[in-house]
Amino acid sequence: MNAPLRKSVRQKRGRGVAACWYGIARTATIDRAGAWAELDDGGTAKIITGVTEIGEGILTVLAQIAADELGIKPQDVTIGDNDTARSPEAAHAGATRQTYMIGNAVALACREARKRLIKELAQEWEISEDDIVCSNGMISTLDKTRCITISEAVELCKNRGVVPVGSGSFTANHTGLDPENGSGSPWQAYVYGAQVAEVEIDTETGEVQVLGVWAAHDVGRAVNPQGVEGQIEGGVVMAVGQTLMEDYKQVDGYPSTMNLAKYILPTSLDVPEVSSVIIEDPDPLSPLGVKGIGEPSMIPTAPAIINAIYDAVGVRIHSLPATPEKVLAALREKRDSADSVEKSAKSI
Amino acid sequence: MFYCDQYHVPQTLEEAFDLIQTNKGSYKVLAGATDLLPWAREGRGGDVNFESVIDISKITDMSEWQLQGDRISLGANVTIQQLLEDPFLRKHIPVMAKSAVWFADDQIREQATLGGNLVNASPAADATPPMLAMNAELTLQRKYKGKINQRKLPLHEFVTGPGKTRLEDGELVTRVECDSMPGYGSAFEKVGHRRSLVISTVCLAALVSLSDNGRKFEDVRLALGGVGPVPVRLHESESCLISKPVETELINKSADLAVKNVQSRTRQEYRREVVFNFVKRGIIEAMKDIETNYAEVDKNIKPRKNYG
Amino acid sequence: MANFDIQMTVNGRQVSQSVSPHLRLLDFLREELHWTGSKEGCGAGECGSCSVFVDGVLMKSCLMPVAKAQDTIIETIEGLEEQGKLNVLQQAFQKTGASQCGYCIPGMMMAATAALRANPHAGREEIKERLGGNICRCTGYQKIFEATELARDVMNGTLPDDLLKQENDEGPFIGSNSFRIDTSSKVTGSLKYAGDMVMPQMLHMQVLRSPYPHAEILEINTSAAEAMAGVEAVVTCNDVPGIDGFGVFTDDQPVLARGKVRYVGEAIAAVAAEDLVTAKKALKKIKVRYQQLPVITKPEDAIKTGATVIHEDVPDNIVMHIPIRKGNVDKVMAESDHVIEDTYYTQPVEHAYLEPEAGLAYLDADGTLVIQSPSQNITHHRHKLAKILDLPINRVRMIMSAVGGGFGGKEDMHYQGIMALAVLKCRRPIRYVFTREESIIASAKRHPFIIKYQLGLSRDGHIQASRIHMLSDAGAYNCSSEGVMRKAAILAAGPYAIENLIVDAIGVYTNNTPSGAMRTFGAMQSQFATECHLDLCAEKLKMDPVELRLMNFLKEGDETHTRQKLGSVSMLEVFNSALELADWEAGISNSRGSTRSDLGNPGNRPPCTLGAREFPQETVSAGQSA
Ligand SMILES: Cc1cc2nc3c(=O)[nH]c(=O)nc-3n(C[C@H](O)[C@H](O)[C@H](O)COP(=O)(O)OP(=O)(O)OC[C@H]3O[C@@H](n4cnc5c(N)ncnc54)[C@H](O)[C@@H]3O)c2cc1C
Ligand code: FES
Ligand code: FES
Repeated sequence: MNAPLRKSVRQKRGRGVAACWYGIARTATIDRAGAWAELDDGGTAKIITGVTEIGEGILTVLAQIAADELGIKPQDVTIGDNDTARSPEAAHAGATRQTYMIGNAVALACREARKRLIKELAQEWEISEDDIVCSNGMISTLDKTRCITISEAVELCKNRGVVPVGSGSFTANHTGLDPENGSGSPWQAYVYGAQVAEVEIDTETGEVQVLGVWAAHDVGRAVNPQGVEGQIEGGVVMAVGQTLMEDYKQVDGYPSTMNLAKYILPTSLDVPEVSSVIIEDPDPLSPLGVKGIGEPSMIPTAPAIINAIYDAVGVRIHSLPATPEKVLAALREKRDSADSVEKSAKSI
Repeated sequence: MFYCDQYHVPQTLEEAFDLIQTNKGSYKVLAGATDLLPWAREGRGGDVNFESVIDISKITDMSEWQLQGDRISLGANVTIQQLLEDPFLRKHIPVMAKSAVWFADDQIREQATLGGNLVNASPAADATPPMLAMNAELTLQRKYKGKINQRKLPLHEFVTGPGKTRLEDGELVTRVECDSMPGYGSAFEKVGHRRSLVISTVCLAALVSLSDNGRKFEDVRLALGGVGPVPVRLHESESCLISKPVETELINKSADLAVKNVQSRTRQEYRREVVFNFVKRGIIEAMKDIETNYAEVDKNIKPRKNYG
Repeated sequence: MANFDIQMTVNGRQVSQSVSPHLRLLDFLREELHWTGSKEGCGAGECGSCSVFVDGVLMKSCLMPVAKAQDTIIETIEGLEEQGKLNVLQQAFQKTGASQCGYCIPGMMMAATAALRANPHAGREEIKERLGGNICRCTGYQKIFEATELARDVMNGTLPDDLLKQENDEGPFIGSNSFRIDTSSKVTGSLKYAGDMVMPQMLHMQVLRSPYPHAEILEINTSAAEAMAGVEAVVTCNDVPGIDGFGVFTDDQPVLARGKVRYVGEAIAAVAAEDLVTAKKALKKIKVRYQQLPVITKPEDAIKTGATVIHEDVPDNIVMHIPIRKGNVDKVMAESDHVIEDTYYTQPVEHAYLEPEAGLAYLDADGTLVIQSPSQNITHHRHKLAKILDLPINRVRMIMSAVGGGFGGKEDMHYQGIMALAVLKCRRPIRYVFTREESIIASAKRHPFIIKYQLGLSRDGHIQASRIHMLSDAGAYNCSSEGVMRKAAILAAGPYAIENLIVDAIGVYTNNTPSGAMRTFGAMQSQFATECHLDLCAEKLKMDPVELRLMNFLKEGDETHTRQKLGSVSMLEVFNSALELADWEAGISNSRGSTRSDLGNPGNRPPCTLGAREFPQETVSAGQSA
C-alpha cells in the first residue's frame, strides 16, 4: 500500500535503522531437552515431550519436524506434551529455545524410531538399512523397486515383534561466565537481526505513528515461515508499544497503572505495516540447523523508531516510552536552543 | 466487583421515578453501564454493592430526538454510536459525529449514552466540549409529591468538578438540548496515547461560521476538554474572532487566549502547547469544513514560542 | 439477592434461567451456561476478548449486566461454525496463521465478523477501525487483518476458495506453511484455558494481597474467615510443610508472605470457598496488623550506604552484578579521537498477556497433587513445589494448561504454591482466576534500566572502546533478575567487534513490583542503548549511521565480548537485506527532510485518520420523532 506523503508542514517523516544479536537457548549454562517418538498404526506417529506451547506455534513446528523425519504428514502426528508426569523433560518456554532444543530432541527421537522400523524392514527385505527411505507416507528402497506404505511397514515391524519407538535428548553445550572478566561461551548458536522503521510525527501534538517496519532476521532454518513472520510481527508490535506508550508506573511503591485503561497497549490502529525477510544461516552444530526468532524479533524495533524520530525532527529521545509529551518537550527544547543560538549570533 | 440485590428495568419514566421513590437512598441509576462497571473494580471503586439498580436504558422516550426550531432535543439515552451513524444527527450536529469517531470503540459506543457521559462528568469526557460549544441545556426531572417536576440547566452550570454535577437526589437527566448548526463548519481535535480506546489528554470542539464571502468570522464556538477539572467553553478566544476578519494574527491571538485554561494537575506544559495548536488547527479545520480554501492561512501560522 | 428470570437465545438455543442480578452477560455465558469460548481479559471494556453479538450488534459482554440481554439473540464464537465445519473467516484465520495464543481470538473473530457484516467490502483501514476495540498481544494484528481481507474476498467471490487450503500437502514440511495444529480449537472457542475448566466439588480461591510496599507483619488473624459458612480453607505461610521459597535463580520469595511484605500486591493469605462471593467476603475478615517500614523505590537509593535492607541476607541490596572486562578501556578510551557519552532509560513493562493467570489444582486418584496452569516452566515448578510441600518429586504433577500468552511472565511460580497449600488442606479441587488488576500488580515486570554509555571512536568511525554501566530495578524479589543481568551484559555492546570493553549489569532490590523474565531477558534494554548511541555517534561524526555499523560489525572468526570465537556470522547479510527490503536511501540522518526518497514507500500504512468508513445519507432517521 502506498502512503502518500502529506503536504502539510505539521507532519514530518523519518526513518531509522537498528541491528541486534541474540543467543539461542539458556544462557551460560548447559541446556537439554528430551522427547520420545513412536511410529504408530495407520501411518501416524506419537511424539511425547514436556514442551510447553505458549502460543508461538511450537507444537506445529514439532509436528512438521516429526513429519519430515518419519515421512508422514504433520496432521498425522499426535503430540503429547506439557505434563511432568507423562512426558520427558523439555524444560521451559523461553530463551528462544524451543525450536532449537526441543525441535532437535524430537528429530533425534524420530530418527531412532525410524531406524528401528527400517532395521526390521531391511531384514525382511534382505537389503541394507542405508538403501531404505521414508517420504510422503511411503517407505521404499532407494531404487523404488520395493515400496509399501508406512502404515504397512509399521504393521510388518510389529509382526516381527518390535514396536518402532525412539527417544532423543539434545544438549547445548554452553559454559558459564568467568566471575571476574565474564569470559565464556554462553551459547553455541547466535542469531542476528536488523530493522528499519518509518515514522510520522505530528509536530503539534508530539504523536508518533510508526507506519512501516522492515525486518530481516536470521533464524537458522525457518521450519514454518509464516510462523516466523508471526513472531516478527508480534515482536515488532510489542516493541512499538514499549517504545511509544507502555509504562508501568508506581508512585512511592504503589502501582498507578493497574488496569488496561491506564496501562496502554497498542490497538489495531497503532501498529505499523510489517514486512519481513527471513535469512537462513543454519546452525552447523545441531541436527536440524534451526535456531530461533521469538525474542530477537523485538530488539531492533525500539532503537529503529527512536532513530527515525531523530531523522524526522532532529530530537533524540533517551528514555522510553517516547510519549507525545516527551517528543513535544524535546521539540520545544530544540526550538528554544535554536532561538538562543540565533539571539547570541545576533548580539555578536 | 459490581454487586446488586435487585435489578430493575423500567420501560417508562413513570416507572423509573416510582422505583426511585420506593428505593430512596439505596438505588443506583445505570444507563449504558460503560462507566459504572469499569469503576466497580479494584483500584477504583472496588467491590460495590447497590441494593437496587435502576437501568434506564430501555426507556424509549429517552432514546429519541427531534428538531425544535433551531434546537435539537436529544434523549439522554441516545448512544454515542447513534451520534456517529445517524444521518439526521450527522447533518444537524456533525461535530458530535466527529467526536464520536474517536470515542472508545464501536462496541462501547453502542452502549455508552450521551447522558451517561455528561453525568459521569469526567474531565476528559469527549461529548462535553462539543455540547458546551452548542449551548447545551439539560432537562432534569424528578418526582415530588406524586408529580414529575422538571428544571433546565445549562451544561456549563451542570458539571461542577471531576465526577461532580448539580444532579440532585432522585433526579434524572432526561433530555439534552443543543443548537442545530447548519452552515457551521466544525472540527474535533483529540490527542491521547494511542488511536483507539483512547482517553483524551486534550480535546477540542470548534465550530465556525463565516460571513462576507468567507472573509469574516460570523460566529465561533470553542470548547476544551481534558485540561482542567471541567471541560470549558473558550469565550475569550471566541470573542476575539467574532465579527472580525479571517486573519492569521487574530487566530494566533485566539489560540493564545485559550492557553490559560490549562489547570490540570499533570502535564501542564504539554497541554498548554497542544491547546494553542488545537485552537489554531480547530479553527482552520472548521473553516476548511465549510469548503473554503484556507490553505494560505494554514501556512502562515507559526508555532508559538512560549507556552507559559 | 433476589434472583430474576432471564430468557435469551444463545447460539440458536433457547435459554431460560433464574440468575443472580449482579451477573454480567459474560458471567452468565461462561459460568452458568458453560459457553466458555468468550474470554475475560480485563473485565472493563478495554480488550474485547469478551465480544459477542447481542441482537446482531457487537458488544463487550463484560460491560453488560445480564438483565440488559433479556429477550435477545446472542451469538458467540461457538456459534460460528457452519454444520460442524469452519466457516470462511475461521478458515482464513487458519490459512494466514492469524492466531497465536488464541486468547483474543474469540473476540477478534466476532469483531472481524462484525466488520464484514457491516461492510462486506470493507477495506484494510476500515477493518482496522472496526477491530479497534480488540487487543491482541501476540500477533501484531497483521495476520488478523490479512485473514479478514482474505475472508472478505473469498466471500465476495473475488478470490477462489482454494486459497483457504493448505499450500503444501506433500512434504517436505520443514520450510512450508503447514497449518497450525491448534488453530481449529482456537477459532472455534473449543480450547479450554485454566479459567474455563470446572471440576465436581470445585472450590474458588481468592488471595489477600499486601496494601503496603514494605511492612512487617505483626499478626495475621484468620479465625473469623475460617468460621464463615462456605469457607473450606484459609492458608498462610504457616501451612508450608517443607522449605518455603521460590524463584527462578534463588528461592527468595515465600509462597505467602512470611513476617514481612516487600511490595504492594504480595500474597499474604488465601481462602478457598464454595463460591467466589464467599471467598471474597472471607478475605475481608482476615485481619492483618502491619508495621510499615521505610520504602525504597529507586535503584540509585537502594545501593547507597545505609539504605534500608529489603532482604536480610542481602545487606547491600544487590541481587546480581555481572561484569565483563576485555582489553584496556581506560587507556584506549583516552586515546580515542572521539569519546561520546550519554545515558538511556527504559521503563518497567507489563507483559499484558491477554489471559490473566489462572489455575485448577486437585488431587489425582492416587493422591498426587496436580496443578493445571499456564505455567511456562512446568519442569522447574515441579521441583520447587516438591521442596516446598516436602513431597517426593513424582507426587507433584504439573500440567501446563493452554497458555493465553506468556512472554516470560508465566515463568514465575507466584500462585501455584498457594493453590497447592489450599488443596492439601481441604483435599478438594480448587480454581483460582486472577482479575486483570491482580495480574498486573502481583506479577513481575520487564526490568527498567538506567544505562550510562561511553564509546570511544576513531575519526573514521571505528569503535575503539566501550564502557557500559547498567543499573536495574529488580523490584522486591529476584525472580529472573540474575539471568536478566547476565544476558543484558553479554549482549549489551551489540554485534560489533570491540577490543576494549567494560560492561557492568547490576540488579538491585527495591520495594517495587518484582522485575522478572520478559521477552529478550534484558537484551532489548541494553541493545536499545547501544543502537541509539551508535546513531548519536554517527551524528557527532557526521556519518551515515549505516556506514558506522557496517564498519564495526562482527565477522566470522571474530571474538565476542565474552571472548568466544564465532563461527559463521550472518550480521552483514541480515543488515543489508533489511536495507534492501526497505529501499533504504543512504545518507546522514536528519539532513534530508522530506526529500529523502525512500519515505512513503510501499510497505507503509497510511497514517491513521479514522475516516475510512462511509455513512449513509438518508433523510429519514430511525430515532427521530418529528
Ligand atoms: C474502554 C472504554 C473506553 C472509553 N472511551 C471513552 C472515550 O473515548 N471518551 C469518553 O468520553 N468516554 C469514554 N469512556 C467512558 C464511557 O463510555 C462514557 O462516559 C459513556 O458515555 C458513559 O455512558 P453510560 O451510559 O455507559 O454511563 P453509565 O455507566 O450507565 O452511567 C454513568 C453515570 O451516570 C449516571 N447516569 C447515567 N445516565 C443518567 C441519567 N440519564 N440521569 C442521571 N444519571 C445518569 C449513572 O448513575 C452513573 O453514575 C470509555 C469507557 C470505556 C469502558
Ligand atoms: S473487554 Fe470485556 S473482558 Fe476485556
Ligand atoms: S493470539 Fe491474540 S492475544 Fe494471543
